[in-house]
Amino acid sequence: MNKEQILNALGTMLTAEQINTDAEDLYDASADRYKKYAKAKKVLDNPIPTAIVYPKSAEEVKELLTFCNENRINVIPRSGKTATEGGLENWKEFAIVIDGKNLNKIINIDPYNMQATVQSGVALQDLEDELRKIGYTTGHSPQSKPVAQYGGLVSTRSIGQFSTLYGGIEDMVVGLECVFPDGHICRIKNVPRRAGGPDIRHIAIGNEGTLCYITEVTIKIFKYFPENNLFYGYLVNDVATGIKVLREVFINGYRPSVARVYSEEDARQHFYHFHEGKCVLIFMAEGPKPIADACGEGIEEAVEKFSDGIIKKVDSSLIEDWFNHLNWSQKDIDDEVQEMINNDRHSGYTTEISASWEVIPQIYENVINRIRTEFRQADDLVMLGGHSSHSYLNGTNMYFVYQYNINCEPEDEFRMYHHPLQTIIVEETLKLGGSMCHHHGIGKYRNEWTKEEHGSAFYMLEKLKETFDPNGIMNFGNIFYQEEGAKFQK
Amino acid sequence: MKIICLIKFTPDVDAFEYDYENNVLLRDKVKQIINPDDACALGFALQLKKKNPDIRIEVVTMAPPSVKKMMEDILRRQVDFGTIISDPLFSGSDTLATSMVLGTYLKTAEYDVILTGNQSLDGDTAQVPSQLAALLEIGHMSGITNIDEKSFINGAPLVEVDTENHIDTYKIPFPAILSVCRESKYKLPFVRYADLDLDVSDKLEIVDNQILKLDIKYVGLKGSSTRVVKTYVKKYEQKEKIIVYNNPEGIETVYRFLKENGYLK
Amino acid sequence: MKKCLIFFEKQYEKFCIDLLETVNQMYGKNFVSYALSIDADIEVATDKFDEIILVENRQIICHNIHMITRIVEELHKEIQFDSILILATHYGRMLAPALSMKLGTGLVADVTQISHYKDKIEMIRPAFSGKILAGIINMREDTVMMTVRPGVFLYENITLKRTKIWSYMPDKIDKPKLELISRRKKPETRDIRDSEILVSGGGGILNDFDSIDELAKRLGGMKAASRRVVDSGKADRSIQVGQSGKIVHPRLYIALGICGVLQHVAGLNHVQHIISVNTNKNAPMCSLADIVVEGDARTFVDSLIERIDREKMIQEKG
Repeated sequence: MNKEQILNALGTMLTAEQINTDAEDLYDASADRYKKYAKAKKVLDNPIPTAIVYPKSAEEVKELLTFCNENRINVIPRSGKTATEGGLENWKEFAIVIDGKNLNKIINIDPYNMQATVQSGVALQDLEDELRKIGYTTGHSPQSKPVAQYGGLVSTRSIGQFSTLYGGIEDMVVGLECVFPDGHICRIKNVPRRAGGPDIRHIAIGNEGTLCYITEVTIKIFKYFPENNLFYGYLVNDVATGIKVLREVFINGYRPSVARVYSEEDARQHFYHFHEGKCVLIFMAEGPKPIADACGEGIEEAVEKFSDGIIKKVDSSLIEDWFNHLNWSQKDIDDEVQEMINNDRHSGYTTEISASWEVIPQIYENVINRIRTEFRQADDLVMLGGHSSHSYLNGTNMYFVYQYNINCEPEDEFRMYHHPLQTIIVEETLKLGGSMCHHHGIGKYRNEWTKEEHGSAFYMLEKLKETFDPNGIMNFGNIFYQEEGAKFQK
Repeated sequence: MKIICLIKFTPDVDAFEYDYENNVLLRDKVKQIINPDDACALGFALQLKKKNPDIRIEVVTMAPPSVKKMMEDILRRQVDFGTIISDPLFSGSDTLATSMVLGTYLKTAEYDVILTGNQSLDGDTAQVPSQLAALLEIGHMSGITNIDEKSFINGAPLVEVDTENHIDTYKIPFPAILSVCRESKYKLPFVRYADLDLDVSDKLEIVDNQILKLDIKYVGLKGSSTRVVKTYVKKYEQKEKIIVYNNPEGIETVYRFLKENGYLK
Repeated sequence: MKKCLIFFEKQYEKFCIDLLETVNQMYGKNFVSYALSIDADIEVATDKFDEIILVENRQIICHNIHMITRIVEELHKEIQFDSILILATHYGRMLAPALSMKLGTGLVADVTQISHYKDKIEMIRPAFSGKILAGIINMREDTVMMTVRPGVFLYENITLKRTKIWSYMPDKIDKPKLELISRRKKPETRDIRDSEILVSGGGGILNDFDSIDELAKRLGGMKAASRRVVDSGKADRSIQVGQSGKIVHPRLYIALGICGVLQHVAGLNHVQHIISVNTNKNAPMCSLADIVVEGDARTFVDSLIERIDREKMIQEKG
């Protein structure tokens, strides 16, 4: 099929308003924030998708997927558009971007059963706003909250800033509806729990558009008690000390909603007005008052236990203030694009990994050392650091953050900086048994390590792909390495 | 057409840090960069070469051999040839002695026009281009913010110059030295990813005094009549913050601060 | 008696007279001053210099550096100057080096102070983009040559001299190697990046943003804004400071009701002084300030304007 034939075929399935072939929008759809600099500078060299379509129902998604499956056309599922790992990048001559814009209905808010059902194009912020009106919250607050939509959140296994209390998105999804390439629509019902074979929700959650298109989600909702929030901030000697305190809090069974430690360099970015060149440890306790208070006590006890490494306590109002300015919006994303165009610089990149308590400080150290000694453009780095922001009973994550002066042509930027840096982080993490992708997904630029990430269990992932997407039309290049795509990576 | 670009590597002055305790400027740790004005001059030459591939560009610098790596990086950007003029005898040269050395090389070199930066980041004197023009008896213009490409190709460029109060346009036929300043916004392209390890060793030559044969009484420390005998570090004081309220007393503090620092006439 | 030649540059006549103060500091009163004028206005100089040398031939145009270099060379051969001073203007900074090459004399650029080192004249100039000052001497016993920053020396001697004015005519006239095609006045800068003083408003003065104008005017600076103000439509994007706006480096930055998120502060580069006015003295912006004024930005603006005007009135009356 050629471009015209594809567009004609789409025209028989959808109305004209549901098909977008605007040149600028298509250029925008050809890559995500992984190549943000080249994209802003208008030098992307990967293929531009054929069309962006906006289905209004699962039935329309079914029709689209069936068509693409029969004609071997690449499909890029999309909603919210805040991807950072190449998940929305196109590597095929012909591709249809299926955007969730019109799947924007909040279907049901059910406080009695503590759940809400939304279509996949509903913005997290919109649902959160509705819930707040009645004293509830989604409990989910990634930095991209004002922009992100449920389809994207679920399909990338998103996590939010309050994950240590509310969990990641996988802990929130009760049931969902999704459409497979052969046109089959699956609805997973909303029950509190069941032992009915493997938990099939997880075939859809985190599939990154490689298996199915998610059209509807039911998630848990929570009671909201902002008046009980308690904030704690400390300057600490080093990242390792901070991680020890985090561990102490979690292994004793406390569940603060926020628990983070920032390296000196990263702290400067967020707390330049009080960090005094030190690492910063912060907590937030929330929930019903007795629980919040007890959690607060647990935090103070843990801090006390490691007081040797604690330099001082920070005024809690500074921490509270900071939280109120945390999320970025579409405006921030647009601003960064302007910055890249005008000033030849951007606000940096991140790579997120996770590992057990024991090895995480080691990974951090190894990564920083290796970058400092091995990374070719190390002189250009203006910031290299990280923070741990999501803790679990058995370990925590590390969010590496880096910023640099861009001394190269825009076409070369990701090859000269982000990719080699990410490579070091991934390699060091896998070496010590951690996971190379804590919450951004694998996307297209970490797919060369997917096999190593999963080891012998990759078999299961591979079989899923073969079974559900035998023609390989679903988001070509995501998660699964493709020789054909290597030219865009290297 | 053959263009010679004269460049200099200088410490990245903006990155100097200040040691408040000992009242000294810390200049040792700072890395070397290509002088920004020179980068613009070379940027213009390369921009022109992109459209006129038969233009040949030679980059010439006078520096210790340690600049070789940086020079190779320059050569990886479509520059045809690089010359490092280097001899222990030349070290310590002031601007006049430097111009003698460069001029001696240039007298034997082939060129239609010499492009260079207006002034260097470290020295700030802007003397060398003008001294060279006098020595080579060719035209010179400094402070160039724009070069008209078409007339340049025809050998008599129209250049725009930012004098203190005016923007002047001059016509300056070849051979000539054009001193380009940063405000020109000409950009030196970066080395492309694919060329990062390009072997350019055959494009680089080192020229020493065995080749130039300058009388040693004209070069180096001996040949330099001007000498720095003292340096004075400007007193930088670490800021001490004043916190006042929005009342007459506070306003008076701000007012006096503005006055003392010359913000109020 | 030392003999000193000052190049008397057209359109910079007053600054050239000030160079006599530089010479004063070099030799005390013990010198003869020569001014070389090519088509400049010598009326202002007639009672200041000992001698004025006029080059009056119309064909010798000012930008013919080679010709002028030759004239000085010829004069120097005859008179043997002990020092040659040239103003560090765009033109002077081209002429002086050319001359130093022709005379084979060392040259010091942009002198801002004169001192003495042993029996030598020490010429002090900024180096490393003004981060340090260097004291430089001429090692040889020949002519001392320098360019001097306009406006740093001030000549206040009121003793009038009986100036001898004479003309000089070179034997032959060289063709200039370049030609002035056109000249236009430099447009006035209206870019906040070029302003030395910025009065910048944020969320705390959103509703009275225009009140900033008057303060900016009195300080001879420009108005700038944070993203918050630009987003609200009260200010144009062209005056936005910050990551997505412009990166500015004024000497003085007055932040009115600006909280100072990192994205804003990223737009401030090498700012010498910051005054932050904010109801919250813990706002990040205040951590960078030399002076923190705790309070409402609008009333601060009004009070400061009033204070400035009061002083002005006193001065005008006095």
